[in-house]
Amino acid sequence: MKKHREFADILDKCLERLLVRGETIEACLKDYPEQADELKALLQTAIAAKEASVIEPRPEFKTRARYQFHSALRQLQAKKGFALFNWRSRWATAIISVLVLIFASTGTVAAASGSMPDEPLYPVKLATEEAWLKLTPSDVGKAEIYARLVDRRVKEIIYMANKGKAGQVEQPIGLLSTHLESIPGLVLVEGQPEAVMATPPPSVEAPPPPAPARGGGKADKGVLVKPDARTKLKALLVQNANRHPAALRAVLKRVPAKAKPVLLRAIHISETGYRKALSAIED
Amino acid sequence: MQDEESLVRRAQKHNQEAFAELYERYFDKIYRYIVIRTGNTQEAEDMTQQVFLKVLRSISSFKWRGKPFSAWLFRIAHNQVVDYLRKKTKQPTVPFEQSLARSEDNPYLLAEQKLEMKQLFLAVGELTEAQREVISLRFTSELPIAEVAKVMGKSLGAVKALQHSAIVALRKKLTGAFEYEKA
Repeated sequence: MKKHREFADILDKCLERLLVRGETIEACLKDYPEQADELKALLQTAIAAKEASVIEPRPEFKTRARYQFHSALRQLQAKKGFALFNWRSRWATAIISVLVLIFASTGTVAAASGSMPDEPLYPVKLATEEAWLKLTPSDVGKAEIYARLVDRRVKEIIYMANKGKAGQVEQPIGLLSTHLESIPGLVLVEGQPEAVMATPPPSVEAPPPPAPARGGGKADKGVLVKPDARTKLKALLVQNANRHPAALRAVLKRVPAKAKPVLLRAIHISETGYRKALSAIED
Repeated sequence: MQDEESLVRRAQKHNQEAFAELYERYFDKIYRYIVIRTGNTQEAEDMTQQVFLKVLRSISSFKWRGKPFSAWLFRIAHNQVVDYLRKKTKQPTVPFEQSLARSEDNPYLLAEQKLEMKQLFLAVGELTEAQREVISLRFTSELPIAEVAKVMGKSLGAVKALQHSAIVALRKKLTGAFEYEKA
């Protein structure tokens, strides 16, 4: 038993020398001549096993997995914005959805709609947006809301950058990225264009929901089928794909130096995000 | 390379860069560990993603109490594999060799490597669960023996003994399969 344990120790020491320090089998065998025969066979097996098991994940899998991981990470960061009010549960979402409907054009929700990341009502603004998304049943409708939320984020980024508050640009940038990255998954649907939410969410500045259909739409319990929802969304994306990076670039010249790196990142996120969203909707 | 403890602490505060670095540091190792444990690259892809999403959700629960981060991370992967194997035993059994056939669809494996890898997978598939785990942690994911012990929740001596028995068993299965260098 003791001998067996000693051999297991020696084997491990040699493996450490081979695997970590890159020594040769021979160098190790020289130090343990009595166990050399048995040791040699096992070390060769271990090395052969190590060499045969160098399995590289497929590059396309790695790319996809990395993208999903970063999206999940950004969503987690975005949720942190709601932590102040601890409105994470389903009940909280349901309650705020009702509140949004009731108090949309007045009171706190309306006041919050124009708030900026350095203001106390900003979390209310984000919670309201979350409720709009939850109240929108169709994927294309959600994608359109995301597209309009991007417009809000760009305004916030510009506002905060102008004030030189680089640290507070991080949250809207994170959200900008999450919104843009959510769009491809929502529009990459095969088949017919989808119905969008017809009952407009409260008209509290942007993000106005998709406008009611002008003819051709069919009313059914408050839901209008809007056959050109994708076309409308595409037009919005095309327009903003040029407008948003240009607006960010314009402000880049005049913001304080410390805000420039975050703005450059926002420009990059905006350009790549729109490229992906447009490519998805054109497929 | 950043000190792992500070990296983990920053990741616990949801710092994106810290998370990204931990992800890149461990992604391939976790993937390889799961491939060797399950013998199936497609399942390993899904499970690897699940592991990192779980890490994202639960990293705040990780505490530095003498255990390295890798031990905690591989424990999550281990639990994922155990769940998978448990579900698999309830379903009609898919022979290890058959699940391996799907792995051969992986064009990223070198042609000459495929044969050896297939032999290795088949041989590893015949080991005990514990032996398979020690082989995958030690040689595929390249963890130090002390970390392997922590992942497996065993003493250092027990893991060394297990490592010994696993290599002996593997050698028996592989005899004649690999061409060993002549001394």
